[in-house]
Formats: sequence, structure tokens, C-alpha cells
Amino acid sequence: MTEFIWIVIALPLLGAVVLHFLGSRLGEPRAGLVGFGMVGAAFVIAAIAAVPFFQGESHGEQVFLFDWIEGLGAAASLLWDPLSAVMTLVITGIGALIHLYSIGYMHGDPGFSRFFTYLNLFIASMLILVLGDNFGLLFVGWELVGLCSYLLISFWNEKPSAAAAGKKAFIVNRIGDVGFLIALMLIFTTFGTLAFDVVLSHEAWDVNGIELGVGLVTAITLLLLVGGTGKSAQLPLYMWLPDAMEGPTPVSALIHAATMVTAGVYMIARTAVLFELAPVSSAIVASVGAVTALFAASIALKQRDIKRVLAYSTISQLGYMFLAVGVGAYVAGIFHLFTHAFFKALLFLGSGAVIHAMADEQDIGRMGGLRKAMPVTHMTQVVGWLAIIGIFPFAGFWSKDEILAVTFGKGGGYYVLWAIGLLTALLTAVYMTRWIALTFWGEKRYADDLHPHEAPGTMVLPLIVLAGFSVGVGFWNTPFLPSMEHFLEPAFEGVEQAHLPEGLVPWVLAAVSVGVAVVGAFYAYRRYRGAGAVELAPIGKGSWSLVEEAYRVDDLAGRFIVSPGRAVSNFMAFVVDRDVIDGAVNGLATAVRTAGERLRPLQSGFVRQYGLGLVAGTVGLLVWFASRGLG
Amino acid sequence: MTNALYIGIGPIIAVTLGVVVLLMVEVTLHPATRVWRLISFGSLISGFILAIVQWADAANNPQPIFSHMLMHDGFSAFGSIVLIIVAALGLLVAWPLVENDRARGAELVALVLLTTIGLMLLVSAANLMMVFLGLEVASISLYVIAGFIRKGARSNEAAVKYFLLGSFASAVFLYGVALVYAGTGTLEITAIAGPQFAGLTQTPVLLVGIGLIVVGLGFKVSAAPFHMWAPDVYQGSASGVTGFMNAGAKIAGFAALARILVVSFDAQRGDWGPALAVVAALSMVVGTVLAITQTDLKRMLAYSSVAHAGFIMTALVGGGAGIDALWFYVVTYAFQVVGAFGVVAAISGVASDESALKQYVGLGRRSPFLAGVLSLMMLAMAGIPLTAGFAGKFGVFRAALEAGYTWLVVLALVASAVGLYFYLRVIVRVYIDQETAEQPRVVITDGMRFALTTVAVLTVAFGVNPAPLLTVVSNALPF
Repeated sequence: MTEFIWIVIALPLLGAVVLHFLGSRLGEPRAGLVGFGMVGAAFVIAAIAAVPFFQGESHGEQVFLFDWIEGLGAAASLLWDPLSAVMTLVITGIGALIHLYSIGYMHGDPGFSRFFTYLNLFIASMLILVLGDNFGLLFVGWELVGLCSYLLISFWNEKPSAAAAGKKAFIVNRIGDVGFLIALMLIFTTFGTLAFDVVLSHEAWDVNGIELGVGLVTAITLLLLVGGTGKSAQLPLYMWLPDAMEGPTPVSALIHAATMVTAGVYMIARTAVLFELAPVSSAIVASVGAVTALFAASIALKQRDIKRVLAYSTISQLGYMFLAVGVGAYVAGIFHLFTHAFFKALLFLGSGAVIHAMADEQDIGRMGGLRKAMPVTHMTQVVGWLAIIGIFPFAGFWSKDEILAVTFGKGGGYYVLWAIGLLTALLTAVYMTRWIALTFWGEKRYADDLHPHEAPGTMVLPLIVLAGFSVGVGFWNTPFLPSMEHFLEPAFEGVEQAHLPEGLVPWVLAAVSVGVAVVGAFYAYRRYRGAGAVELAPIGKGSWSLVEEAYRVDDLAGRFIVSPGRAVSNFMAFVVDRDVIDGAVNGLATAVRTAGERLRPLQSGFVRQYGLGLVAGTVGLLVWFASRGLG
Repeated sequence: MTNALYIGIGPIIAVTLGVVVLLMVEVTLHPATRVWRLISFGSLISGFILAIVQWADAANNPQPIFSHMLMHDGFSAFGSIVLIIVAALGLLVAWPLVENDRARGAELVALVLLTTIGLMLLVSAANLMMVFLGLEVASISLYVIAGFIRKGARSNEAAVKYFLLGSFASAVFLYGVALVYAGTGTLEITAIAGPQFAGLTQTPVLLVGIGLIVVGLGFKVSAAPFHMWAPDVYQGSASGVTGFMNAGAKIAGFAALARILVVSFDAQRGDWGPALAVVAALSMVVGTVLAITQTDLKRMLAYSSVAHAGFIMTALVGGGAGIDALWFYVVTYAFQVVGAFGVVAAISGVASDESALKQYVGLGRRSPFLAGVLSLMMLAMAGIPLTAGFAGKFGVFRAALEAGYTWLVVLALVASAVGLYFYLRVIVRVYIDQETAEQPRVVITDGMRFALTTVAVLTVAFGVNPAPLLTVVSNALPF
């Protein structure tokens, strides 16, 4: 079974090819069904292939397909182990649900089949990323998902803001990719290959006599972290994610919440062996995560756009995951990635249903009271809300509290990170309660000619399924029964992991964080249940204006990075490049062209002249050979 | 022994029968064009099957056959397989040309098959005389194909030029063969390198003979400075068959060159290696530089094929170690050529001798399929990763590096980089430039669509996963 795991990648890839060529002929909704079918089938195959891991019979296998470039270690070879299995199941499972949802959501869009082409291509790329058995394949997937993300953010490219957002995502990600690429080069020069089984194994280092200095490992891991901050929208490279909400909502749910943005977390967990040897890098990862979590949560407090709240919330939750992998709680990090994928996809799809019902209105200041109009959506969103603020026994409770407890257990400076995490939990409860209260509860604040209605079946069904999971998946890894930890054990073999503190501490901590969440939620409930007028105040006028405008980071970036950057690039473009480099290149091109023009008359069309060329060449060779023979 | 005799000649016989039957039936019955198709593709398909049989048999049982005239080995069988595939794809692309000329269409089909026979003889020959015969059978057929459009001045000019210069090259080749005979007393490719001539390896007569053989075959593969006919001939010939003319000559020409140099003259590698490197370098430079200034896609492709001849030759400078790299490059390049000229045929018309680049502006909107295939072929010829062109270049450059020709590889890399310019320019025309005037809609036949899809799929498949083809070519070595 395992040797056929490549089919999991091939199916969505096939879907993308078929939809690209036949999509418009298939029409609606068949194009969507093809896309859904491919991803759904991939999920089923992945689930069957994952059975041995659940039974504890397999520790994972390499599936070698073929060599691409010998000697680089960049073969088409897949790694099917518990870690990649978890990622694959999340990607294909949630991916299939979101495909189904999109059939309803994209109804009537002129780009219907193009949308599913990109979405299938994304799934295939993401699977290449998580299933690759070497950094080469990981990088291929890494770049491909970036491309898909760009294509899908600017899907409605007739909107200038969408096109700009796509570009922003692409450029910011490039910065991270440069770091990642340098890390890969360092890895290659150090290990002589990009294959995981050599780079990530102590035994292989011994066999190959590889000496790893702390400085070198720290450099490699920090560069990997740079790549991770770009893809996973961490400080300072988070700016692209809120703008990425310009894309269709299913894209926000799938790519910018559940899967692609978690690639950085996956990558760090995968390279745990290296991070373990670089305590400084790990501490930086944890700090970046904690600070990002708090920073993004504070911005989310005052956002008015229904999706932007969730976008900042995603950044904040990704911060928790970075915190987890930074403190060495790799399983907790992956666990939070896992639960977050469900409830955040749920929340995004729910807001998509709301946007749909509200005729493309996205300002939660102009919503309210949707509970009555959309009862099913409302119920599912309540589940998602309870899950993300971490109320017992919903999924977010288990995963977030594990991270906080492990951080606390590390002691020392980590108490600060724990406190930041706890404060973030409080803010999370506030902004998510505000979000759901302003959207669904209280009085309606939208115009009377709007008649919101429940979404169609293909959209509601995924909501219900995801809501069910948002309750259930938390039980996969509880302190009583750490099944996931057990499940992932083979993937982190030989890696020192941080664990929950002993005794009553975790219980006290859990009680504290639930208490904090309840307090936050209660405060926000009181404040926002009835409020309408406050929220409708124009943005950027009150005392909260700095937060409302996301600390004006974009402005600052504009002033201090983009403008100087533009000045530099103008200098580079018009002085250095045009005059110096282009001068040289154009000089070469002109020389080549002139040479071409000079040579052209030789091509006169006269046979005698061609014959002369032939004779000249022949004589030249004759002289050479004769001289070799005689001399 | 007897078995090998028939298995070794099977593919050639099958295609020859096709020619004979086609011409006889056409003369006596004047059947519908459907019958031409049936006979020609029937013979090609049976030839293909027999070539596979030959491949399987030769793996265990390679030997010279017919008194050391032909060689029954993996090298011959693989060459025949590739040539037959290219001929079939070429015929599919050329088919509208065949059908449009009810009176002479069958002759064109027969000429394509005859060329294929000549080329198969060329790759299978075990004797320099057979090499010459194969060369002439193929060349004379190609001269006539070049002049197929009788009313076109360019086509006539192309045929005459090709014939005059080609005869000259053939004469040079024959003179080289004579000198080799003078130097060694034998024409058998395997025997030339035999122990009895051990003391005669560096005689001037023999070395000059080798030089003349290189000239003759260099002409056929359009290596500089023997390339000047190529742009005129490829432009003048009907677009429908240009791809086949170019691809077929490259495959068989390089195969014959590789077999002769590696099997007969391995002892003289120090003499011909540098000469070949210079010819390769010259081809890359001349082809690339002149391709840049072209405004006609067919001419541009002709010059680019000169440059590619140079790239392919870099695989040979190190002798036998580069043969698999050479095969890989030649085969994948042959597909690219058929694909690119196929698109030219579809856009400019199969009988046309012009294909100004401006005809391709806005093709991305008019025909996404043709635009996609053409762009893919351009990317592959430029050697972009994940196309077969990249894997091919990687292989031949590595072969040259291992042989110690670093300067040649550096030059080849520069030529590839410069080459990007004119390949990407085509893609810019196709997708980015705006049409100024309404261009006619493009209609293509099913056969053409099939042929183009095939080459596109193969180009991507061998680019993503070159291993299967590499495994096959590593077995396609001369006996």
C-alpha cells in the first residue's frame, strides 16, 4: 500500500491538468465535482495507508520513485511516516471539505473551473511539500504552494486590491525564501546531500563522519526560521497574510489558515534534530512565536473586517505553534496545528457563508443578529468560537493548554513566554467573542433590503462536519491518553522533547487559562452584545486608532522599507543596472547582434559562397589532421 | 545465426515493403488517401514492432550480419525505434500536405519512408560502404522532399542547393572512406580498430580520412561551418515536413558519427576529439549568434538546430562514455524539433515556406493548445529544468566535463544563456504582445493534435523523470 502513496499526489495533480484543459467544457458544477472527487479519493487512500501507524505496526517508510538529478540527493522520493501522514490527512481531509464548500461558494463565478484547477494544484503542491523525503522536494513544494497562493489571492485579478495583495504575498514570501534557500545551500555543503535520511539522522552523521559545530547548526536553523516566518506569517514577515484575505474565502480557509501557513511549523518539526542542537535558535523560534501571538491578537481586537479578524487570529495561533516547536514540544505544536486546522477552517467557512448571505458585506459593524437568519451556521460558529478560545472540552483547549503548560514547565525565562501566551489567550477570548457577538448576536445593524439566508447544502455540510471535528479531535491527545504523542513517536525518534510538568501543575494552569478565557469572553460579551454605534465610528479616529490600523505597520513599512527600497531599486535600476550592468549586457548583446549582422551577408544565398564555407571548414580540419599525422 | 539475420533487417524490410506496396498500389489503383495512410502507418507500425523485437534479441545476441555489412545490436535497434517514431510523428504533421496534393501525395509519403530506410541503414551499418549507401538513400530522398513544392521558387532553390552542397559533402565523405581504406585496407567498422592495424593508427592518410568523414557527417547534422545550407533548405521546404527532415538527419547522422568514431577510431581520439570540440564550439557560437537576428521562426529554428548540433557534439568529445548522453539529447531534441515545426506547419500552413515571427503574436488567445506546445518546445530547447531539454544538456555537458573539456562546457553554458533570449522572445510574442490586426483562426487536424500532444507529453515526462530513457539509452551502445 505504502509504495503507492504517490497516487495521493498524482490524483489532485491529474485533477488540475484535466480541469485546466477540459474545465470550461465540463462547466458548473461538474468541474467542482472533479476537483472534489480527486481530493476526496486522495484522502481515502491516505487514510488507508495511515492505518499501520494507528496500529503501531509501522514506523514509516521511504518510497523511492525515481532519480531526478543524481548526486544532489534531490530524488523524487517520498517519506511516509506519522508526521507526514498527519499533515496529509489534514490537507486532503479539510481540502476535500473545502472543495465541496467551494462548489456552492463559487457558484456563478466566471472563473469557476479555473478556481478548482488552482485549488487542486495547490493540494498537489502542498502534498509534495509534506511528503518529500529531501529538502529538494520540500523546496519544490514550498515554491509551488507560494505560486498557488499568489494565483488564488489574486484570483479576482480585475480588483486592483486583490492583484496588489497577491503581489505583496509573493514578495514578502520571497524574502523568507531567500533565507530558506541559503539554508539549503548550507545543508548541502555540510552534508553533501539534501536527503532527510542523511541530514536528519545522528547515525548517518557518524557513518559519514560529519562534524557539526554549534555555530553552523545555529546558522542553518536560523536561516530555516527565516523561511518559516515568511511562509507561516510570523514577525516580521507577517504583513502579507491579512491582505491575502482578498482571495475567495475558501482559499483563506484552506491555504491561509489550515494548511500552507503551517508549512513553517511542519518544517521546523521535521528538522527537530537540527533545532535540538541549536538551543539559541530554538529560543528565538519560541520568542518569535510568543511575541507574534500577542502582537497579532492585539490587532485582532479592533478589526472590522470579518475575515481580517480571523487572519490576525491565524497569525496569533501560528505564533502558539512556533512557541511550541521552539520550546521543544514538537508534538504539542503539531497537535495545535491539527486542531487549529479544523476550527479555523470552520470559522473561515462560516464567515464565507455570512459574506455570501450578506451580499458581499464584510464589515462586522454592519452585521448583528444573524443568529436568527442563519441558525445552522450560527451553531457551528459557536463551536468554532469555543474551540479557539480554549473552553473545555473543545479542541483548542487541549492543544493550546498543552503548549502553555509545557512552556511553563521549562521555567526560567520561559515564564515570560508563558505569561505572554496567557495574555494572548485572554485577548483571543476578547476578540473572538467580539467577533461572534457583533456578527451573530444582538440587534441587526444591516439595511432592511438585505435578507440574509442560510447557505446551500454543499456549504452547510462542511460546516457541520468541521464543527463535529472541532469538538472531537481534541481528544486525540489528552493528558490522560496522549495517543497523538504515541502516534508521532517514530517521527521524533531520538529527539529530546519537552513534556508536561509533573503533578498538579498542568491542572492548575489549565484552570487558570480557562478562567482567563471565560473572563475575557464575559467582558467582550457584555461590551459588544448590544453595541452598534461604537463600532460604526469611523476607523482611525478614536483612542484605539493605532490598533485599528494594525499599528500602521504597513505605513511604516511603506515609509521605511518600500520607499527607501524603491529609492534603492531606482538607483539600482536606473543608475547601476541601466548604465553599468545593462551597459555591459547591452554591450554584449549589441556585440552579438552586430556580429550576427556582420555574419549575415555570408548567408548570401549563393551556393558558391556556401561551398566556399564548406571547403574552408574541410581544409581547416584537413590541416589539423594532417599535422597530427605528420608531426 | 540465421535468426539474427532476419531479426536484424526486419524493421528495414517492413518499411521498404511499405514503400513498394504504396507506390505499386498508387500507380495501378489510384486509391483514396485513406489507403495511403493505411499502408504507410501499417508499415511503420510493423517496423516499430520488429525494431522492438530486434532490441530484445540484440540485448543477448549482438553480432554483425550479412557478411559484416549491417550490425545487429542495441544501437541499431534503438536508432530504428526512434527513427520510426519520428517518421510517424512527421507524417502525422505532414498529412494535410499529402492530402492536399492528390496527384503526388503518395510520392511524398514514399519519400518520407525512403528517407527513414536510408537513415535506418545509416545507424545500422557495420561497413563504411553501407554507411555511404544509407547516407545517399536518405540524402537523395531528402533533396526531393525539399523540392516538393514545385511551384515555390524557394522550394526549388532549396532542393538545388541542398543537392549541390549535399553531393559535395557526400563526395568528401566518400573520399574520406577511400583514404581510410587506403590506410587500413578494410571498410569494416569493427575491423578498422583491430589489432592488425595497431602500428598504423597515426598515419596521415588515415587521419585525413577521419577528418573527411567528420566533414561529410558534420554536413548532414548541420554543424558549423558546414551548416550554411540549413536555413535556406529548412525555410524553403514545406513546413509540414521540415521537422522530420531536421530531426531524422540529426538522429542518424549523429548515430553514424558516434559509431564510426567510437568503434573504429577510438585509438585516434586524441586527434579527432579536439577537432570535434572546435566544430562543436563553432556550431554553438554561429548558431546562437545568427539565431538572434532572425525574424522568421523557421530560420530561427534552423540556426538553433546548428547550435544544438554543437551541444550534441559535446557529448562525443570524450568518446564512448558520452554515447548515452548523446542518445538522450538527440532523441529528446528530435521530439522538440518535430513539435516546434509542427506548430509552424499549423500556423503558417503545411505548404508554406514563410513563418514570420509576427504571425505568432497573440497565439495564446487564438489557440491556447498550439501556444502551449510551442512555448514548451522553446523552453525545452532553451534547456529549462523539468523539460527534457534540461536533462539532455545536463548529460552532454557532464560528458564533456568528464572528458576534460571545461572550456567547451563554459562556452556551451554561455551559448545556452544567450539562446534563452531568442527562445523566450517567441514566448513573449505568443503570450504578451498585442495583436495589431485580426489574425486568421487556426484549425488543426486530429493527427497533428495527436502528434503535438505526444511530443509535449514526452518532453515533460522525460524532463520530470529522465531515468527510464536514460536506462534504455545506456543499453543502446554499439557492439
